[in-house]
Amino acid sequence: MGTIRNTSFVLAFAGIAGCAATMPPADLVSARASYGRASHGAAASMDPGALHSAAESLQGAEKSFSDDGDTQGTRDLAYVADRRAQTAEASGEALQAAQQQGQTLAAMHQAETDQANASAARLGQANMQIAQQGQAMQSQGQQLDAERDRRQDAEKRAAQAAADLAAFASVKQDPVRGMVITLSGGVLFASNKSDLLPGAQVKLDEVADALTKNDTVSKVVVEGHTDSQGGPAYNLELSQRRAETVRAYLISRGIASDRVTAVGYGVTRPIADNASAEGRANNRRVEIVVQPTPSP
Amino acid sequence: MHRTLIPSIAAACFVAGCGASYPVPTQQLADTESAERSAAELGAANEPKAQLHLQLAQEQLTQAKVAIAGGDNGRASVLLTRARSDAELAIALTRAGTAKAAAQAAIDQANAQKATNSKQGGQ
Repeated sequence: MGTIRNTSFVLAFAGIAGCAATMPPADLVSARASYGRASHGAAASMDPGALHSAAESLQGAEKSFSDDGDTQGTRDLAYVADRRAQTAEASGEALQAAQQQGQTLAAMHQAETDQANASAARLGQANMQIAQQGQAMQSQGQQLDAERDRRQDAEKRAAQAAADLAAFASVKQDPVRGMVITLSGGVLFASNKSDLLPGAQVKLDEVADALTKNDTVSKVVVEGHTDSQGGPAYNLELSQRRAETVRAYLISRGIASDRVTAVGYGVTRPIADNASAEGRANNRRVEIVVQPTPSP
Repeated sequence: MHRTLIPSIAAACFVAGCGASYPVPTQQLADTESAERSAAELGAANEPKAQLHLQLAQEQLTQAKVAIAGGDNGRASVLLTRARSDAELAIALTRAGTAKAAAQAAIDQANAQKATNSKQGGQ
């Protein structure tokens, strides 16, 4: 607090001592130096009371030196003043160090707090990701359930379609070709004709209904077959025309044209002996093959 | 407390110079012994900078007691004042040493914490 005043005071006494042409005692020289260090150090701000006390001690020593010269009393006063100045300096340093320690610990505490907050944020983020993954898995599970339900529904519809068709046609499940619906040629066409008989349309209506109602994606192949009577080329051409006729009719009943193809096999694929009338009747046929839907 | 220094020494010097009687500095002796004990208990003997001043305080305290025993109370008072200033300086230096060591330990701890945090941050 009185650092400037005290420093001036020291200098003033130093001047007086110089005029007196008397060498100051070593303790006084040391006290002046100690006070100079203390007044420019931490004591000025950290422990001004101790510094003021040191200034008063030095002032007493300087006055004694000024009044009496280098006496034992002056040396004693200077000795004590030197200790007081060093005490103020050490006290200021101690308080400054304690302040630094407090600031360092506070900064550490803040860093720990920041670290803890960052950890908590990371934990929260991880928990959120876990929750999102859980939701995604739940959603995936629901999708799988829905897919299973759709598959079961499709299987039911396919079974129903097969049951519907079985009432008027032979329906067989071929592991390679798919579902094969066989309609007797005599039911669909007059001899050597490729126009549908009126009764045939009713049957094909039911086939078309089954194909549009229960399955809208499977590919359908209409195969025409004949017996061995007549020339092979003629029978091939006849079977092709009959297959085309059935295809056209199915398309007219609502089945997408890109789902249905027609092919004539003529006499090449008999299913019975052409030597008997019954066998030939069985060979004259149209097979509607519903190919299995490829797995997605 | 410190303000009594100048009159005390001046009076002691005056009395000693005139050869007049000077009362036994009983309270001053008790205060100085108390300061010396505090310095010793704080560990001044183990603090390099404080060690010398604790020793000086103890020596001058002993000399003061000899002076009192010899009836030289004025000189005893001066010696007690000097001894006490050394004891108080020893206390201040010991505290400063302890405080600086604690501050440095905190800095080291903070640096170790920073190093640990930076390692964790890098993983």
